[in-house]
Amino acid sequence: MKDNKIIRVENLKKYYKGGAIKALDNISINVDEGEVVVIIGPSGSGKSTLLRSLNLLEIPTEGNIFVDDVLITDPKTDINKHRQKMGMVFQHFNLFPNMNILKNLTIAPTRLLGKSNEEATEYAMELLERVGLADRAAAYPSQLSGGQKQRIAIVRALCMNPKIMLFDEPTSALDPEMVGEVLDVMKELAAQGMSMVVVTHEMGFAREVADKVVFMDAGQLIEQGTPEQIFEHPQSERLKTFLDKVI
Amino acid sequence: MMWLSNFISDFKFVFLESERYKLIIEGLFVTLEITLFAVLIGIALGTVVASIRSTYDKNIESLKKRKNLGYYLLCVCNVICKIYLTVIRGTPTVVQLLIAYFIVFATSNNDVQIAVFAFGINSGAYVAEIIRAGIMAVPEGQFEAGRSLGFNYVQTMFHIIIPQMVKNVLPALCNEFIVLIKETSIAGYIGITDLTKAGDLIRGRTFSAFLPLFGVAFIYLLLVLVLTYLVGKLERRLRANER
Repeated sequence: MKDNKIIRVENLKKYYKGGAIKALDNISINVDEGEVVVIIGPSGSGKSTLLRSLNLLEIPTEGNIFVDDVLITDPKTDINKHRQKMGMVFQHFNLFPNMNILKNLTIAPTRLLGKSNEEATEYAMELLERVGLADRAAAYPSQLSGGQKQRIAIVRALCMNPKIMLFDEPTSALDPEMVGEVLDVMKELAAQGMSMVVVTHEMGFAREVADKVVFMDAGQLIEQGTPEQIFEHPQSERLKTFLDKVI
Repeated sequence: MMWLSNFISDFKFVFLESERYKLIIEGLFVTLEITLFAVLIGIALGTVVASIRSTYDKNIESLKKRKNLGYYLLCVCNVICKIYLTVIRGTPTVVQLLIAYFIVFATSNNDVQIAVFAFGINSGAYVAEIIRAGIMAVPEGQFEAGRSLGFNYVQTMFHIIIPQMVKNVLPALCNEFIVLIKETSIAGYIGITDLTKAGDLIRGRTFSAFLPLFGVAFIYLLLVLVLTYLVGKLERRLRANER
């Protein structure tokens, strides 16, 4: 079956303590090519677990995940190859503190994609230019602000030329005045047609940029739809009370 | 100035007469030889054990699902490492040295080699735990960042984790080697004339305890000071870029 669904998740389950805790309870979602999917929900609802399952940083208990029509939950699949196609951005940036920015950006492309140092550097500088941080190439992560670090983290993922970008609460650890600069980079990325899955508490971003919004609670997928459906016409009581609180 | 001239004549008698200082110098070289090679064995062994132990800790959950050959191999290696750590850290070094000398290598005549081996095996256990702690101290997010870029487990370890681990472990590793330098002073138990034994021999021959023993203690102190200085310098250089 050939379609434009870049990620298909079927009946995904993640249990802890033999099923006593259901972090993910039978989740099925699709991500189309070029689509921006935003996952919202209260803390502990399983949003991050779902996102981290997509590149198997969490190993699901049951269920199937297809990326590019390849079943990545199959133990025989080479997950490392697939992770190269899925860039990931973390809440706490996770830049490598012992390397300068340029090295942070080039280490993966040179070691994994077989790029020469010059090629990788050239591409990294081009991307740095686009996020306005080319002058910080020689700096170390500890010398940057949170917003700068997160933009670098996004560029680091982009240096691998991914087909999909996963964002795990990318602005939650930032000072409020730095949230905008990171969201701007993400918006630009979305505008260029990158497939993105974003876990966030930024409802404004979800409303403005998302093609599809997914609402989760207690490990279950409660509702999904366009931003308009979710924010203007919520169906379930749970989503209505959630939106009342956050907006 | 009486005490000074007394001291000088004592010094001449204890160290210079019959060229007794040569004993000290030879002993010092034996001590350095044992320490140096024991450190090398300790680091090699400690690295292997620490790799097995932390690979086990980090991967066992995901490997449990498959139960292939690698899973069982890792389990067996981990158990062996744990036994090694428990036995070595749970028994006195002198006893281990004597066991190596009288039982394991009863047929060997090369005492220094036996000592190198015994101290190396002993140090390896402590180095292993130091390195493992150093790996565990690198935040999990660094590991996840490496894996999410597409590095496999081994690549993530080599490119991302180990360079950061080295900085974490330097102070503790330096401490372990300071302990080791001084611990080799028990080599006299198996008839090796190391620095301590040399001092003790001079004490026996001159019937003077003060200068030989304080002299030896002073040399150990110097060795430790030099080592501490060098490691401190290395540490500062490694950290130079971080803040």
